[in-house]
Amino acid sequence: MQQPPHIALGLSPEQLLAVLGGMHRSRAVDDRLWQLSRQGKAHFVITAAGHEATQFGCALAINAGRDYVVPYYRDMALAMALGQSPLEILLHAMGRQGDPASGGRQMFGHFSSRSLRIVSGSSSVGSHVPHAVGLALAMRIRGEGNIAAATFFGEGATAEGAWHEAMTIAGIHQLPVVFVCENNYYAISVPQPREVPVEDVAAKAAGYGMPGVVVDGNDLFAVYAAARAALQRARNGDGPTLLECKTYRLRPHSNADDDRKYRSAAEVEQWRQRDPIPRLERYLLDRHLATDAEISAIRQAARDEVDEATRIADATPRPAVETIFDHLYGDQPA
Amino acid sequence: MPVITVREALRQALHEVMEDQSVFIIGEDIGHYGSTYGVTAGFLEQYGPDRIRDAPIAEAGIVGLAIGAAMVGMRPIAEIMSVNFSLLAFDQLFNHAAKIYSMFGGQMQVPMVLRTTNGWTQLSATHSQSFDSMFAYMPGLKVVAPATPYDMKGLLKASVADPDPVVFIEHTLMYTVKGEVPEEEYSVPIGRSNIVREGRHVTVVTYSRMVHLSLQAAEILAKEGIEVEIVDLRTLRPLDMSLSIESFKKTNRGVVVTEDWQSFGTSAEIAARLYEYGFDHLDAPIARVNFKEVPMPYSKNLELQTVVTVDRIVHAIRSVLK
Ligand SMILES: Cc1ncc(C[n+]2csc(CCOP(=O)(O)OP(=O)(O)O)c2C)c(N)n1
Ligand SMILES: [Mg+2]
Repeated sequence: MQQPPHIALGLSPEQLLAVLGGMHRSRAVDDRLWQLSRQGKAHFVITAAGHEATQFGCALAINAGRDYVVPYYRDMALAMALGQSPLEILLHAMGRQGDPASGGRQMFGHFSSRSLRIVSGSSSVGSHVPHAVGLALAMRIRGEGNIAAATFFGEGATAEGAWHEAMTIAGIHQLPVVFVCENNYYAISVPQPREVPVEDVAAKAAGYGMPGVVVDGNDLFAVYAAARAALQRARNGDGPTLLECKTYRLRPHSNADDDRKYRSAAEVEQWRQRDPIPRLERYLLDRHLATDAEISAIRQAARDEVDEATRIADATPRPAVETIFDHLYGDQPA
Repeated sequence: MPVITVREALRQALHEVMEDQSVFIIGEDIGHYGSTYGVTAGFLEQYGPDRIRDAPIAEAGIVGLAIGAAMVGMRPIAEIMSVNFSLLAFDQLFNHAAKIYSMFGGQMQVPMVLRTTNGWTQLSATHSQSFDSMFAYMPGLKVVAPATPYDMKGLLKASVADPDPVVFIEHTLMYTVKGEVPEEEYSVPIGRSNIVREGRHVTVVTYSRMVHLSLQAAEILAKEGIEVEIVDLRTLRPLDMSLSIESFKKTNRGVVVTEDWQSFGTSAEIAARLYEYGFDHLDAPIARVNFKEVPMPYSKNLELQTVVTVDRIVHAIRSVLK
């Protein structure tokens, strides 16, 4: 008989329960952001709902605080999986003082944390990808090639020049980078056939001298296995990998989007059936790694934590007006 | 005369120019979605996928292909959904669109239009910028930034008909602004400014959304007997300063209101022209009202500190009258 995937991958039941708790926390923050948007307290909301297995699977393989992570706006679950708290995420979304990502300067979705080595990006889709290549090059030059860089983007971003340039340079120099494509089949309203000319984004890897790997992005174990192998390759000095995780966003692109204009309720419902969170719960239940009651308790704990974080974030003031010119330029060297 | 929104005025202009079979529209989310701000809603159904084309996220490619198609006589309208992403297409615009006619000794022209939109509202640093002065810096480009439904429609028609590449700048906070637009056909020539309010005490030179804020400021000051004259430039390149300078010679006091950073922004060129051509008529230094010079912050309170408000315009007008 085949081993259950978590055993084959060396993941303990405790780790799985921690991942489930993290996913619930992320989803509960996601739920909350949409509410806050309706209340006028979070101006811009961009969702990670549906992408949790991809993001948690990769995070499990990343050495948080050691590997560099260059995410995109879809990666709230990733930021949380790497160690950001619901409160930190909410301070960022609400533009409050103490927002660790930007001090209230950046719109939501531009996650960053120096200590977690999460690097902030701009709004230009795909423009962050070369930074991961530069980070990897720096690691190579400094003889720290065993530190990898992982960068994340949607399939739509793979049309941008910056993406192709980054892939080219990483391929030429065989740098320790993992390029993770979170393929959710849409770039806002534009479906994959009109944004990417091939069925698998991973097929593009061939042109850049690196392997391309496709996984079911809603399968935590498949993502973890592939991300771990790719990161290992990078850390071993064997070069970059393009990892494509096929997934789906279960909510509109952002709170400025109406997804009913371009996809059917039936299609969304079909993907709801593959929601990575219940999928992990079923896995745990089927193998008697958790009981219904334990899972309910995990879910409730996540919601309670997010309620409390919301209360604190809402009571936190906005950044002081006198700080408006802060961080425009660095201090002059003495 | 019918009163319609800026959005509707743009739609009317696009429908009218689509009658010319050489016109096609390409941009991200413009097809099924009808574009981010709804301007091309229904166009795909009406004109088909050959002429209404959803593009992948490839701004340099979109503008580059518009240039290519324009060189052989098509009249492409390339939409970049937010001016912030036009940065990715600047090489195409600056090193190609603007120069091809001249570099090729007049053999090929580039009759394309780049439609794009300025604006802000908590979209922060890389999503709330204005590059008006950068576009207008480049000889060979024409740059249009209208303020009213009438001018939006008339100038968009003129832009599509123009033999040269035109950057047509809209504003996210203006799509629902209403105004009169006649039923009969018309167009508004590129490169002509317009006096939108007459007055004798001070001249405000402005364009795009700032026209509306300046009008509100003028209303407030009118109650105190201050009569503000407002010039809407409508086009940044070629820049028509004739009405502004005439007005300045009458009022001897000027305020320039532009929704961008002050240093090297559009207000710098406008103020310089007022000084150059109105020097003998100057009774006070020209005041400028612009963004604070920081990347646009996300937090609402910081954002409101950064942007141009009616209060700040009123304050600037008072300051030149002292
Ligand atoms: C350079 C640039 N062009 C356009 C946009 C507008 N935009 C924001 S997200 C997006 C879709 C991106 O799709 P994809 O890369 O598939 O990521 P997803 O949002 O689906 O996760 C677009 C077109 C942008 N932010 N930057
Ligand atoms: Mg996508």
